[in-house]
Amino acid sequence: MLTQQLFNGVVIGSVYALFALGFTLLFGVNHILNMAFGSVFMWGAFAGLYAVTVLDLPFWLALIAGMLGGGIVSCLVDLVAFMPLRRRQAPDFSGIVSSIGANLILLMIAQKVSNTQIMRFPFDTFPIVIFQVFGLRIQLLQLIIIGTALLMVVVLVSLLYRTGLGRRIRSVAFSEGTSKLLGINSSLVNAQVFFLSGAMAGAAGVLIGLTFNSVHYLMGEPFLMQAFAVIILGGLGSIPGALLAGLLIGLVQAMSFAYISSAAADAITFAVLFLIILVRPTGLFGKASTILRVQRR
Amino acid sequence: MMDLFLAYEATVDHILVYALLAMSQYIVMRGGTFSVGTAGFAAIGGYGTAILITRAGWPPAAAIAAGTIIAMAVSAVMALPLSRLRGVFQAVATMAFVQVLVTVILNWDSLTRGALGISGIPKVVTTGWLLLIVAVVVVFLHVLGRFSIGKAMDVIREDETVAVSLGIRVIPHQALSLVISGALGGLGGAMFACNSYAITAEDFGFGMLNNALAMTVLGGRKSVWGPLIGAVVLVILPEVFRPFAEYRYVFQGALLMLVIIYLPNGVADTLFAAIRERRVRSSTSAAAARTS
Repeated sequence: MLTQQLFNGVVIGSVYALFALGFTLLFGVNHILNMAFGSVFMWGAFAGLYAVTVLDLPFWLALIAGMLGGGIVSCLVDLVAFMPLRRRQAPDFSGIVSSIGANLILLMIAQKVSNTQIMRFPFDTFPIVIFQVFGLRIQLLQLIIIGTALLMVVVLVSLLYRTGLGRRIRSVAFSEGTSKLLGINSSLVNAQVFFLSGAMAGAAGVLIGLTFNSVHYLMGEPFLMQAFAVIILGGLGSIPGALLAGLLIGLVQAMSFAYISSAAADAITFAVLFLIILVRPTGLFGKASTILRVQRR
Repeated sequence: MMDLFLAYEATVDHILVYALLAMSQYIVMRGGTFSVGTAGFAAIGGYGTAILITRAGWPPAAAIAAGTIIAMAVSAVMALPLSRLRGVFQAVATMAFVQVLVTVILNWDSLTRGALGISGIPKVVTTGWLLLIVAVVVVFLHVLGRFSIGKAMDVIREDETVAVSLGIRVIPHQALSLVISGALGGLGGAMFACNSYAITAEDFGFGMLNNALAMTVLGGRKSVWGPLIGAVVLVILPEVFRPFAEYRYVFQGALLMLVIIYLPNGVADTLFAAIRERRVRSSTSAAAARTS
């Protein structure tokens, strides 16, 4: 029983990490909270779902369709909501407000498109395979979710620290003005970062929509609040931090879900988020250099 | 005239309640704190008042005062740690605060009756009372803005480094603005409860947070007229566009984006700045004409 709960916690945690990775990438690079990220995730899931139901594509193509869909919507959000503000070097809060606006529009379009219905992937989209290991019930899909979360972290970290694109992204994250002086096309880098984060959100959308077997226009909103908890706990823009914090929160939720009550799970998460941000706002893995951006002394 | 007023009484009440919430949002943002805790303070004020009236049998006036004071006390506890944070982190912390409150209200059945909400609250707050209270708050905030506190808040909002170099203490000013915001939010929530017979946790969730923020951004963060104009516009707009009710959030979202991108200071502040500039220009050109 306990091991099954622990495993469930790891799965939930990987789901949160999957969602939060793109969010924390944007936060780390552009220092913005993209309040429309839940919608990007939802549109990714929609793209994957329509690829299966309308175009009759196999699962792995649907995953790619979801990534493309999420990436494109994310770039659109950047174009409309963030780019004009970045040009003007507007204060932090402007981006939050304009992305809340973009979120409202994206949500309402999705509500129109889906007729406010809860949609499902067809029954045979993904084979249901269940392993019994040491008395644990493990689904193949759950393993894929854990695997994808790990893979994404590895790919993202090696992309950021081993490739030219990663170097450009990190220099823009450090200072956009300086990187422009060094001849980096910062608007291209920003577009790439937005596409990357949107594609990750889209993949998460397809996988999560498949796991919970429901795709609807509000599916991203609860995850957005959890993602706040994940990125704050994990530390400002820290990618391994997001994975660890996601797992930690998943485990805590699974335990309180099993042994206290379902309501306690959310309350505990948000209370922990609230306390962490007041006491140690740089999170568990935040570096000393980020403190200046977070806190005044 | 009276018929016309009665037909729109509910809308007018709605505007006035939201004006209080928007002013609660306005006063923190004037001081450069990006708190979105207004909905949370309103939840405390609203539920506090409703529970005291329906369960403890307090007279409404005392219950409203108590609800406001509880919300203010909670904001005072939050003020110091919150004012040590910066922009985005203040927003996240207060968003989490609102979420915690809504979750607690939804699940603390014995006190708040959970998802059912609290009903049977007497409607003691009429339009006249609301008008009076909003007027008093407007005068209070206007006077506050005229004194050095308001000026200091303006400097902190525009540039914190400049504020510090002028010897303005940032943290006490932001803490003060948060406490005022807590009191106004609690008052707004109490008014909401005593004006609508029944309240549920959903009334105080992300929707209210969103509305109060949108009103302040739309109206402006410097002059106290900003949140008032924002409240009037954002309450009336959905009524005007009722045939397109399905699309009202699209309108609201687009409006929010257009205002923050093209009128970052809000409608009221941009307007006042334009009027002032015009006056200055006409007086300088008159002076130039006299000298030549």
